[in-house]
Amino acid sequence: MPKRIVAWLDERFPFTSFVRHELTEYPTPKNISYWWNFGFLAGFVLVLQMVSGIFLAMHYEPTTKGAFDSVQYIVRDVNYGWLLRNLHATGASAFFIVVYIHMARTLYYGSYRAPRELMWWVGQVILILMMATAFMGYLLPWGQMSYWGAEVITNLFKATPLIGEQLVYWIRGDFAVGDTTLKRFFALHYLFPFLIVGVVIIHLIGLHHVRSSNPSGLNLAAKDNIPFHPYFTAKDFFGLGVFLIVFCGFVFFAPDFFLSPINNNPADPLKTPPHIQPEWYFLPFYAILRAIPDTLGGALAMTISVIIFALMPFLDHSQIPGGARYRPAYRVLFYVFIVDLAALTYIGAKPPEAGWILAGRIATFVYFAVFLFLPVLSRLEERWLVARGLPDELAELVKPRDRRRTRKERRTSERDRRIPTAPAG
Amino acid sequence: MLASLMSGHEPINQKRRVLLRNASLIVGGAGFATACWPFARSMYPTPEAQARGITSVTLSHIKPGDSQIIAWQGKPVFVVHRTPAEIDAMRNSSGGFDPQNDSQRVVEPQWLVVVGVCTHLGCIPNRREGGWLCPCHGSQYDNSGRVIQGPAPRNLDVPPYKIVAGEQLVIGEQA
Amino acid sequence: MRGAVLSISLLAGLAAVTAIGQAREDPRKESNGSAQAGATTIVQTCSACHSLKYIAYNDLLNLGIGKQQLDELRGDNDLLSHIAAQLPEDVAKETYGVIPPDLSLMASAREGGADYIYRMLTSFYQTPQGTTDNHAFAGTRMPDILGISYATDQQTVSQIRQTAHDATAFLEWAADPKANERVTLGYYVIGYLLFLTVILYFWKREIWKDVTD
Repeated sequence: MPKRIVAWLDERFPFTSFVRHELTEYPTPKNISYWWNFGFLAGFVLVLQMVSGIFLAMHYEPTTKGAFDSVQYIVRDVNYGWLLRNLHATGASAFFIVVYIHMARTLYYGSYRAPRELMWWVGQVILILMMATAFMGYLLPWGQMSYWGAEVITNLFKATPLIGEQLVYWIRGDFAVGDTTLKRFFALHYLFPFLIVGVVIIHLIGLHHVRSSNPSGLNLAAKDNIPFHPYFTAKDFFGLGVFLIVFCGFVFFAPDFFLSPINNNPADPLKTPPHIQPEWYFLPFYAILRAIPDTLGGALAMTISVIIFALMPFLDHSQIPGGARYRPAYRVLFYVFIVDLAALTYIGAKPPEAGWILAGRIATFVYFAVFLFLPVLSRLEERWLVARGLPDELAELVKPRDRRRTRKERRTSERDRRIPTAPAG
Repeated sequence: MLASLMSGHEPINQKRRVLLRNASLIVGGAGFATACWPFARSMYPTPEAQARGITSVTLSHIKPGDSQIIAWQGKPVFVVHRTPAEIDAMRNSSGGFDPQNDSQRVVEPQWLVVVGVCTHLGCIPNRREGGWLCPCHGSQYDNSGRVIQGPAPRNLDVPPYKIVAGEQLVIGEQA
Repeated sequence: MRGAVLSISLLAGLAAVTAIGQAREDPRKESNGSAQAGATTIVQTCSACHSLKYIAYNDLLNLGIGKQQLDELRGDNDLLSHIAAQLPEDVAKETYGVIPPDLSLMASAREGGADYIYRMLTSFYQTPQGTTDNHAFAGTRMPDILGISYATDQQTVSQIRQTAHDATAFLEWAADPKANERVTLGYYVIGYLLFLTVILYFWKREIWKDVTD
């Protein structure tokens, strides 16, 4: 019976061939490590967030009067409401952890490089959508931190030249964050995950076209690829098991680990808490925002700090494939960046006092310097490595720089080829 | 360690392989199914809503011949204090096309307690002499809540209820 | 290398779980006995000024308080009604200058949580000006209800400490009434996941024997 259904389906829809090409036989590099598990984990957490979110939305009330109470109603009265809420709140942090690791892997192994630039950019879109979703979702419990976070961040749009004030009121639907804001944030918080799913599908179509990168950075011969199923289904699910153990540890034993106690106080528009800070996953960007004394400058720096990752394919000039594997200088730069991110996270949680402001400025400088230094570093590193002698599989990939023509020369020579010169005679 | 030394020449234990795969599938599948339960359960009425599913009222102010409508679980419940004459009339009839004895429909004969929702399409019948008439499609019920004229297919439902000490009606709990 | 990554991730998971589990073994988190004793203090003393708007009287049954004791505690209040402050808000505002905060979430709404509440209740002292103040919450408008600032003998002090401890235990329960259910379910879930993950590990290892370098 199932066979007949599948046969019926296959005449009308490429079901079997799709499963075979994209899920079972899909060739995957056999040398990819557990760092390549995190994309699958991100997909899992996305689904978990959507499912738990939809069930929470069945009980949540998006009004300033009812929001805080309805969260308490969910946690105290709804059957397993406490579980749904803990899954969703912890899931938000887990989503960012998993996605940040996924991005760090991409940076470390240079997976953003040709032909995977587009995947990297699509991933950037996912990250930005995620951030917007997380930001709007954080308003929904209507606690003190929810309210003041939304108030402060929406205020940033005031820095927009000419239309700043109108823009802020347009976003809020009112002069201050209130009922209207809460309702639209709820509507969009529900919508955005579906947009993320759409972009994830593009991400996956791209992946299946260019195939997974691998630690070597080289394109592997066919014999070094293995079918996705069962090898990577088993590996991904084992990774998922390990992830779930840690995740459930937080959900069941420390559900408030990622939450601020301040947010257990209902929002009070007339009283700002003594110290406000965003959720941990926004802290580095928040630290960059605060490092710049000018509002517009700070907002710009923060925006750029998120989208600057998109420039990576252009900034990395090395002809040596991959990332840190064969490139010691790049590896050092990577770790400098990670340490700097950790520092920014730490600084973002500190009160804006003199010492921390200075530290924040230094860390912000290092953050952008890493990106700006990369073009120079990648060329210097390449020259140094070539001079030192490369392994055979790499040497053939690296063309001597001085023989490479500049863009102008290339254009001229192309024109020469196109326009035949009159035969001498 | 040995496996890598022999570089793939280790014989593959097919039985063990299938066993491990099936164990993963069964244990994982069972866990997934169990994990669905809290989600489904969260849609069921809360314990507080369930506590509200029991309604308790005093009957002493309903005089013989009178009736009252009480809200129970969001539905109207008709409570009629029947006179001895009405009781006799009901005992001598078995209703319309859903015949039932009056004694099966009451706990104490002077108190008729029925859910006031027409069994046809859910309208609320109006009280009138000798029973109820549904305004939507004209179904008629007698003083035992039995349908005597269509289109309603069934008699009015009797909710679970008990009468404590002859004067406290508790709807939602069986005696 | 791969083996090392595996064992490290498994160990890290286990370590995280046990560490978090250990954290739960806070001495304050003992049986419900303390919280039950605290319920009396909260309902009879604290609710003179403070409400607990998320706690209904019949919720106290879940804490293990008997039906009879509950009837004594609630007096004329309905079983489903929430614990209200006896002092009207405008009177409180007139007397103390502030509306006393609701206590339902107090144990999770302050930095330091339950420890902070206990410290606050036992940190009242007499100022040289003859007023009372609090080391944990300077300038609080709350009077020293338990009387630790003017207790003279050691026995009274330790008695007050016990009362504060019980009241704190109750507030901790009130802020997170599902904690016991959560932790119990948590052990089952983690146990199951460990079992499943071990099976998955062996399955993965078995089929990866095909893959050679």
